[in-house]
Amino acid sequence: MQKAERLLDLAALLLRASEPVSWREIQEQFPEDYGGSGEAAIRKFERDKAELLELGIPVRWVGGDEDLSAGYLVDKEDFYLPDLKLAPEDLALLYLAGSAALAQRAFPYARDLAHAMNKLSFAARAPGASEVAAVASLQLSADDAEEDARAESSARLEALSAAVAAKKRVHIVYLGAERRARTERDVDPYGLYQRGGAWFLAGFCRLREDIRSFHLGRIVSVEVNPAAPRTPDFTVRKGFSLADLATRESWEFGVHAPVRCRVRLDGPASPEERDTFGPRATWKESDGGVVVEVEAQNQEALLRHVLSLGDRAEILAPRPLREKARKVLAALARRVS
Amino acid sequence: MTRKAAPPKADARDRLRRVLFLVPYAVRHPGVPVRDLARRCGVSEKQILEDLDFLLGVGCPPFAPDDFLDLYVEGDRVHVALHQSFSRPPRFTESEAAALAAAARALGGEGRERVVRALRDAVPKDRRAIFEELLACIFAGSPPAKDSLLGRIEQAIAERRALRIRYFTATRGEESVRVVHPYTLAQRLGHWYLWGHDEGRGKALPFRLDRIRECAVDEKRFEPPTDAELARGRLFSEASGPPVKLRLGPLAAAWALARPGQWRVLKRDRKGGAVVEVPGVSDEWATRFALSFGGDAEVLGPPSARRHFGDAVRRALARYP
Repeated sequence: MQKAERLLDLAALLLRASEPVSWREIQEQFPEDYGGSGEAAIRKFERDKAELLELGIPVRWVGGDEDLSAGYLVDKEDFYLPDLKLAPEDLALLYLAGSAALAQRAFPYARDLAHAMNKLSFAARAPGASEVAAVASLQLSADDAEEDARAESSARLEALSAAVAAKKRVHIVYLGAERRARTERDVDPYGLYQRGGAWFLAGFCRLREDIRSFHLGRIVSVEVNPAAPRTPDFTVRKGFSLADLATRESWEFGVHAPVRCRVRLDGPASPEERDTFGPRATWKESDGGVVVEVEAQNQEALLRHVLSLGDRAEILAPRPLREKARKVLAALARRVS
Repeated sequence: MTRKAAPPKADARDRLRRVLFLVPYAVRHPGVPVRDLARRCGVSEKQILEDLDFLLGVGCPPFAPDDFLDLYVEGDRVHVALHQSFSRPPRFTESEAAALAAAARALGGEGRERVVRALRDAVPKDRRAIFEELLACIFAGSPPAKDSLLGRIEQAIAERRALRIRYFTATRGEESVRVVHPYTLAQRLGHWYLWGHDEGRGKALPFRLDRIRECAVDEKRFEPPTDAELARGRLFSEASGPPVKLRLGPLAAAWALARPGQWRVLKRDRKGGAVVEVPGVSDEWATRFALSFGGDAEVLGPPSARRHFGDAVRRALARYP
């Protein structure tokens, strides 16, 4: 019997049973698959059981007692998707967030996400307007022009998602930005994060012996360690936080020792402008404008950010960085004149 | 919208997950077209027909098919009657729930943790720890701030109520009050947009979420948009005017070209630098973008964009006497 068929039959058998089904009974029902008395049959059944579990079908063994015989069962309560009992606005959040993510195509566990969105219509009462809005979101968020590039990166993202979940080491070929050099390295994949519309792999790099981020667009190839797929290759280092890494500003990636830097912005700073300096910046009003103070571990990156704000912004301190700003702008001015 | 079907994969698990959805869906929607099922599952109609064939061969032991379900396809419509075992799909798997929860966290809003809890509770009990662990491994973006506004916008979408918003238009640097029929939220290139019908302008427009300063939900309900109106919907209008041309140094090119965007590379030099074209962006955007590479990029054309860039550089330089 084919595996898909066997798994579904097994699920049907256990779901319909009103009492636990004994191993002997299961063997009788599936003589070709689990027949015989050998270890092999039990191992095959255990593998199938694990797959059913991964599909969301919780098969468990119950030891018998006076009232109940020993055997396998699927707890109905724990099987059927329940109603999520969410308020309309919370349901809208789920539908819209899920659809927009799905439209990106490159999203971790994208296939699972598609299944989840389908199931959602069973887990909500009267999704009505939210479901229509979700279809619209899916369409508006999709970008046909980028379809090919996304299809390619979504395949890499899928491989990495699986490796993150199973904690399997990956071997990647990576194209560095600074040196434009191709390197090959083993990485323990800790997680995936998105920033500015691009995905990054975060993990422990065995080449650099440190936590590193890798831009997905520059990962040329991914190979997941194929040995012992259900046994983890590593444990995540204590104190690692994906959210901390993902929300770090570009000037907070350690290149040198931290330096206090001050930047002046003319006029009132809008909330969006404030957001661009991150949550750790401090702000002071200062005659018609604001002065923002940040701790930079990569002053070059801060300089780039300040320049992008145009003539409304100016580096006040430290002096060498101010001098650097002047030099960069002077060189550009010579080019455009 | 043209959308390529997902790559075919004859994976037993994939098929099972599909049929565990297909069967209850077809029961709930008698006579559902094959096309509809294919669209929902993101596979071809042929694949759906094969799945249905597969289902016909399945039965509860002792394997009389009619013991399990009664299924027939009439024309292009699917009818299923079955034993109630598969009347609802199974709970979310940990990766299904985690992907959805990560997406919800990235959108934000007051409801996000309520939603994450509800998803967690919809995972089988003994998989919930894995769900939590997996969710900590995905960070799908920082939410667009201003949680309080988002809750109201979501409520308005769900209840089809008009929204009165105070909106900041970046290109004009000014705020205006608009009445919008909020159709949906969508995400592009890292930003969230509210897309809806602007009463004052008489058409559907995108509003960047982080530029909505205030919003209030109106009593007034609006008619849902027609399918045709939705199908015509675009977040950005077609690019107009000549594309902006930029020269990128090696470092800038490595960063820029790895980002999503509609780049057309015109020239690539040996050191990795590039000359690229970007359609449909403003002079202002081009200047900011080039300057964000700190001297490793410049705007080449068209003349108006080059002028804008040159002026900005000179004015900024004047701040460093």
